[in-house]
Parts: sequence; structure tokens; C-alpha cells
Amino acid sequence: MDMKATNHDNDTFLAQWIEGELSDADFKKLVGDKEFSAYKKIRAGIDVYEQLQKPLDTTYTKVKEKIKRKKSTKTKIIPLYAKIAIAIAASIVLFFSATIFFKTNTVAYASNFGEQKSVLLQDGSEVLLNAKSLLKYNKKDWKYKREVFLDGEAFFKVTKGSTFKVVTNNGSITVLGTQFNINTNPDFFEVVCYQGKVKVHSNNKDFILTPNLSVRSTNGVFEEETLESLPPNPSWVNGESSFRRVPLKQVILALEKQFNIKFDTSKIDDSIIFTGSFDNTNLNVALASVFETVNIKYTILDKKILLSKEFNEI
Amino acid sequence: MGNELKNVCNEVVFESVFNNHAKDIKRFIFSKTRDTDLAEDIVQDTFVKIWEDCEKVVYDTIKSYLYTIANNLFLNIVKHNKVVDNHQQGYKKDSTNESPEFLLLEEEFLIKLEKTIENLPETQREVFLLNRIEKMKYKDIAEKLGISVKAVEKRMHGALLVLREKIGDV
Repeated sequence: MDMKATNHDNDTFLAQWIEGELSDADFKKLVGDKEFSAYKKIRAGIDVYEQLQKPLDTTYTKVKEKIKRKKSTKTKIIPLYAKIAIAIAASIVLFFSATIFFKTNTVAYASNFGEQKSVLLQDGSEVLLNAKSLLKYNKKDWKYKREVFLDGEAFFKVTKGSTFKVVTNNGSITVLGTQFNINTNPDFFEVVCYQGKVKVHSNNKDFILTPNLSVRSTNGVFEEETLESLPPNPSWVNGESSFRRVPLKQVILALEKQFNIKFDTSKIDDSIIFTGSFDNTNLNVALASVFETVNIKYTILDKKILLSKEFNEI
Repeated sequence: MGNELKNVCNEVVFESVFNNHAKDIKRFIFSKTRDTDLAEDIVQDTFVKIWEDCEKVVYDTIKSYLYTIANNLFLNIVKHNKVVDNHQQGYKKDSTNESPEFLLLEEEFLIKLEKTIENLPETQREVFLLNRIEKMKYKDIAEKLGISVKAVEKRMHGALLVLREKIGDV
């Protein structure tokens, strides 16, 4: 990132900054505090301008959806002959919808232990699944709403268009066109925005993320953070899993997913905070790089790895 | 059949009413709520309501009718949720000591910004709108306009310089 900042030309750096190609931190270094806050306000103003001026096609679609939904709940007075016709039609529809109903419309992609899977969606959006993750969506509904379900971790490159929604057990994320990473596990949830703008809804809270911003919840506690230097992709895309101040439990879960192994954690405290990374290709290197830094001894027993406190021998 | 053209229950007429007024209604509500998401919701509900009442609506007075509905929806939310009120009072107080995390933008500032964008030199304005409103990448804009990416970036840079200059110290 630093390299990039020095490479910016004097007559284009504002263009790079507004597009998120030049980070706030580097931009600030370039122009100084005062100009930075002035430009930041202008950018916020432009964001509002975008919201107010953008084409309202999606709004119109939503209006029509709302009207349709209301209509179906309203009762209307229908002449008798129409009723008979509708009854016949309804029985035909019932017959067909029953056959459609039993045919599944869900498309699911699951990655195995240690596997990455790239999924290209119908609208050109790309999803890269990290190990042991699941992505699914309803093929039939896709035409009307871009909505997918995620369990595990994935990096999204969403093509521009109508609202794109990712539903997880920890909350939902809505975006227009953008790039972002989601990690969703039973008691850990993290969204990092790489490009564009992301809205995270979790536990009745809303977070708006712009590039370099992340939000995470560990055991239900939310934390927003600005990341100083963000590589173009999450590190796991390049075969390295890295962690910033996460409970060790999450690192162990990631190791299990990458290497298809099980850990016995009964003898250690897995809530200690870990910062560091491991190589996704070599189990021995990975184990050493994680557990040696936190002074935990690991013993490999077939497909289970026993973790215990290191006792220093004199 | 002349009436058909002015019947809001006709979907074509309804859509044209939407296209003519939705953006202004959104801007109007935003000036009250300072919340683009809320403005979006109210715009949607305003047009749902117009559709439901389409038989009663007189086409020639539809504009004022739309604003009335939108305003009522806004007032309902205020009534339900006094928080909006408190929020706006808080915002007036806070506007002098700006917090970078949560920039609230004064109406005056936004109007000035909008005007400056409208009055940008044509080549800059084109690039600015393609990038910000049409969400096109510089690369794609360059292709569309038949110029280099560097030239596109220069225009965008120039546009932002003009905004900074015209808006002055904020």
C-alpha cells in the first residue's frame, strides 16, 4: 500500500482516493489533516448526492412488489361465474405448483476441508468460498432478488446492479456493487469491506462499511475497526489464513476446516487472543506457527490433535 | 379515451408519475430526515399509497398530493419515534465540533455541493456522473469515451479539486 501511495501522480490521486484505490491513511499523509477532513466531508456529501440522484429503478420495482403483496392480502368482490373459472384455474395451478414445489429450487455450493471453491453467479458476481463453507440460493427467486445464504467464510465480488443480499445466521449484509469478505461461525462474525459500500444488519444493529472498515462480533460483542493497510484480497485467497486479535477458538476452527482434523481443547484456554497467520498447505508448519507463539504443546494422535499447556523443562 | 391518459390507475401513467416526481420527493424527505434510507422507504410507501388511492387522485393536482402523503408518512414516523426529533436537535448542536466518524451534513453544505456538481465543466461532470451515479469503473469510462484511463482520472481529480475550491473551508 505504501508503495502505491508514492506512485500516485499529482494530478490523479483524488480520483484514486474517491474510488478507494488510495487508502484514507495514505491520502491523509499526502494532503495533511486539514485538507483530509475537508475532503472527507465532501466525500460524505457526494455519498448523499449519489443516494439522492441515483436512478430509482429499484425503488420502482420495490413499489410494485409492495403493491403486489398488499393486493394478495386484500379481499375483492368477484362475480360468481368468475369464481368458478378461478376455481378451475386454481386447481390447475395447484397441480402445477405442487410438482414445482417438490422439485427443489435451491442451488447449493459447498467446499470441503482444505478446499477453496469459486462460484460464478448468474449476474456475473463471483464468490470465493474458503474451506468447509456453504453458499446457497433459490434459483427461482434469483430473478427477483439477489439473495444468497452463507455459512463459513467467503470473499464476494458483486457486480453492479440491484441490491445484493447475503443472509447468515449472524445477520445480513446488503450491498450494491462491491468487494467484501464475510466470516460467519457460531460465535464469531466478521465483515470486511474492500470496495464500495456494505450495509451489515446483525442483532438489530446496522453498520455501514466503506473501504478498509470492518465490523466483527465476538460472542455477541460488536467492534468496528479501520484497517490501516488492506491487501486487494483477503490473505486466505492466497493460501494463508491470518487473524487479528481473535479468540484462539476461531483459529482452531479454521485449522480444522483447512486440514480436516480435530482438536482436543479440553486442557487449554481457547479464549486467549491470537494475532498471526498460518500456511494452508502444510499442517506441520501451520501447527508450529500457531501454537508455538502461544506456548501450547500439540501432540498428533492419528486424526486428533491434543493440545496442552507447555511446561518448560529446565 | 383522453381520460385514459390521465388515469393514475393506468400503470403507464403511474410509472410516468413516478419518474417525474420520485426523485424530488426523496430529496424533500431527505431534507427533513437527513437519512437516505428512511427517505427511500418513505418514497416507496408514498407511491404505494398513491396506487391504492389511484381512483380518487386527480391527475392535475398529483404533485401536491404526493408531497402531502410523503409529509404525512414522515410525520407519522416522527410521532412514533421521537428519536428523530432528538437526533436533529443533537445534530444542530454538534455541527460545530465535527466528529470524523459521523459526519452530519448541513442542508446548506449539500445544496452548495449539488449546485457545484451541476455546474462542473462538461468533461468533468460527465466523468463524475458516470463514476458516481452510473457506478462505472474508470477503465470502462475510458472505453466508453474513447480516452485513456489516465485522462479519465485527471478529469475526476479535476472535478474534486473544483468541489473543494468552490465549497471552501467546511
